[in-house]
Amino acid sequence: MSECGAHSEKGNKLLSFEEDARGADCMLLTVQGKPVRYSGDADVRSLLESRGENSLYANVRINGSVLRRRDFENISLSDGDKVDFLYFMGGGTCSI
Amino acid sequence: MFNLTEEEILRYSRHIILSEVGGAGQQKLKDANVLVVGAGGLGSPVLLYLAAAGVGHIGVIEDDVVDVTNLQRQIIHSTTDVDKPKVHSASESMKQINPHIEVDVYHERLTKDNIFSLLENYDIVVDGVDNFPTRYLINDACVMKKKKLVEGGILRFMGLVMSISGGETACYRCVYEEPPPPGTVPSCAEAGILGAVAGVVGTLQATEVLKMITGVGEPLYNRLLQFDAEALHFHELNAKRNPKCPVCGENPTITELIEYAYTCDTQAPGSTG
Repeated sequence: MSECGAHSEKGNKLLSFEEDARGADCMLLTVQGKPVRYSGDADVRSLLESRGENSLYANVRINGSVLRRRDFENISLSDGDKVDFLYFMGGGTCSI
Repeated sequence: MFNLTEEEILRYSRHIILSEVGGAGQQKLKDANVLVVGAGGLGSPVLLYLAAAGVGHIGVIEDDVVDVTNLQRQIIHSTTDVDKPKVHSASESMKQINPHIEVDVYHERLTKDNIFSLLENYDIVVDGVDNFPTRYLINDACVMKKKKLVEGGILRFMGLVMSISGGETACYRCVYEEPPPPGTVPSCAEAGILGAVAGVVGTLQATEVLKMITGVGEPLYNRLLQFDAEALHFHELNAKRNPKCPVCGENPTITELIEYAYTCDTQAPGSTG
């Protein structure tokens, strides 16, 4: 997972030199209601993949707006964004 | 006055003692008509709890038969029920728990040809289906007929619940406008499901139905609740009505029922959620 720094639900902790240095590139996002620092590529697909989410299983909502799948690579995340994964759960698209 | 027998008053005494429910609420439960679509992983706890609670008139529609692979989570069915139609197995279990209720069984698949006539007899619908085509069919029909709907879905260690008052609150399409592309989202048969997760989600759905009937509390309207069993985390999202929703938005493009095709690359056996 391309999260970085120490701002998470675990609370504050001292950063190592590497973490501190890397922190300059970090974004603070709220993902699924939890604060996370993220240092990967800023597009939505990269965030999904960094978290082990299959981009085919979920719609993504940023700050309340649902994205189109084809925009996953085009839309860049910004510091402070609230990201929600709207997982498809319904038993698949196959017949019973 | 209430039309409850002494035996019923005793049976439901733990409900009736709740001041928010009381005798009046129990009478509402007795007078209620609820249709549960699917008697599988979600339908099992929903049907059992609605029956036990004294919901007077419960319909269950399901075209499948009990398979041994269902029994890990579909707790309304027993080992001796294997190969029996699920609607019959479910009905027998419900009547054993509560002989005071009526159960309508429909051993058939829900389609665009039968859904409207079925909905006429029921006030609330519970979605316990295992496929997206039927899920969207139910949502659209409930919006068009202004029925209340309790959505539920499960996969692996996750689940979701959303309550809908058709035409008044956000519907499933307000959040999930179109089904996922065929073959992209696996079924429980393909990806697995922790049995108790079906119990959590189905029990939440049953709770929503009982709240809707009795008027207790606030239904999960305009909200989507996701459950992550691995982290034991509930995540609630606001889900306001979408003005661009194709079925309940300002200019709906879906004005007749649609049945999406059932297609997939790998046909999974016995895959009822």
